[in-house]
Amino acid sequence: MSILIAILFVLFPPEDKINIKDAWMRPSSEKMATALYFVIENKSETADTLFQVDSDLAERVEIHETYSEGEMMGMRKVNFIVISAKSSFELKPGAHHVMLMKLKNDIKDGDKGEFILHFKQVGEIKITAIARKPK
Amino acid sequence: MNKILLVIILVVLLFSISCKEKLPLDKDLTKKSYTLINQDSTRVVFPDNIKGHITVLGFIFTHCPDICPMTTHNMYLTEKQLKQDGISDVKFVAISFDPERDSPEVLKKFAEVRELDFKSWTLLTGEKNTITEMLKRFDVKAIKTDEFKDAEGNYEYSMMHTDRISLIDEKGRLRKNYKGSTINIEELVNDIKTLED
Repeated sequence: MSILIAILFVLFPPEDKINIKDAWMRPSSEKMATALYFVIENKSETADTLFQVDSDLAERVEIHETYSEGEMMGMRKVNFIVISAKSSFELKPGAHHVMLMKLKNDIKDGDKGEFILHFKQVGEIKITAIARKPK
Repeated sequence: MNKILLVIILVVLLFSISCKEKLPLDKDLTKKSYTLINQDSTRVVFPDNIKGHITVLGFIFTHCPDICPMTTHNMYLTEKQLKQDGISDVKFVAISFDPERDSPEVLKKFAEVRELDFKSWTLLTGEKNTITEMLKRFDVKAIKTDEFKDAEGNYEYSMMHTDRISLIDEKGRLRKNYKGSTINIEELVNDIKTLED
């Protein structure tokens, strides 16, 4: 069975259906928080759902959204993000983002970090994000 | 002669109205001062410390991953633009509304990671009561959200807060408030130039 799954992965890699681009995160310091941003391109004919993100960079990694109520702004956890078929979804400043809490080390401008994105349809996708200031 | 005088009065009046529209507030902040602590653990009396300088003031908490870094970055970009335009005497102050976690050391590291220049930047924290009183004066609200204890029993929380950058003139008067995370930097730079004229 595992050989079959491996063959299917080689023949139909998840990147063919879901493409992640422009992954970046804000520089921050140990024990503090930062945010990861990227664009999800869903090239397939069916919707997919990002429901978890893992990383060794922080003690807690959660999908969050920034919201506003009048002049007040806050952030809250969301359980998933649905990416419709043949569409893109951008995690960006002031909107949805992956929140990294209690960083294990400083993240300096130019540093790179590994992340595993978990999708319901295509499974795991590994990405590398670079730390930089916003453009 | 009377006609010339009338034209002069009209011009002055129009200029005054235009300034009022651009900088709608005129709140004297010098009537009350607050003893705070800066990133070097030095006591600072605010707003006495900014007297004589146009000041861009931001409200932040350093555990914020998205909004406050945007506000801070917008202040950083404003300073960069001002320097490009030959203006280098503006002060930048970030006040934390999370004094429980934002110690001077934490604020200093937050600033260093973001390459903020301590010649023009001051990051302030203080006693909880002082900060609360000060936030009221600026009509800035900050409330804890998502409070929980982590696996090690540490008390954690996020914050919902007013998204604010304020412009203060050389005389210590609050002149305008902006939405910190999405501010139009060109508008702020132009308002600073209006104050400089």
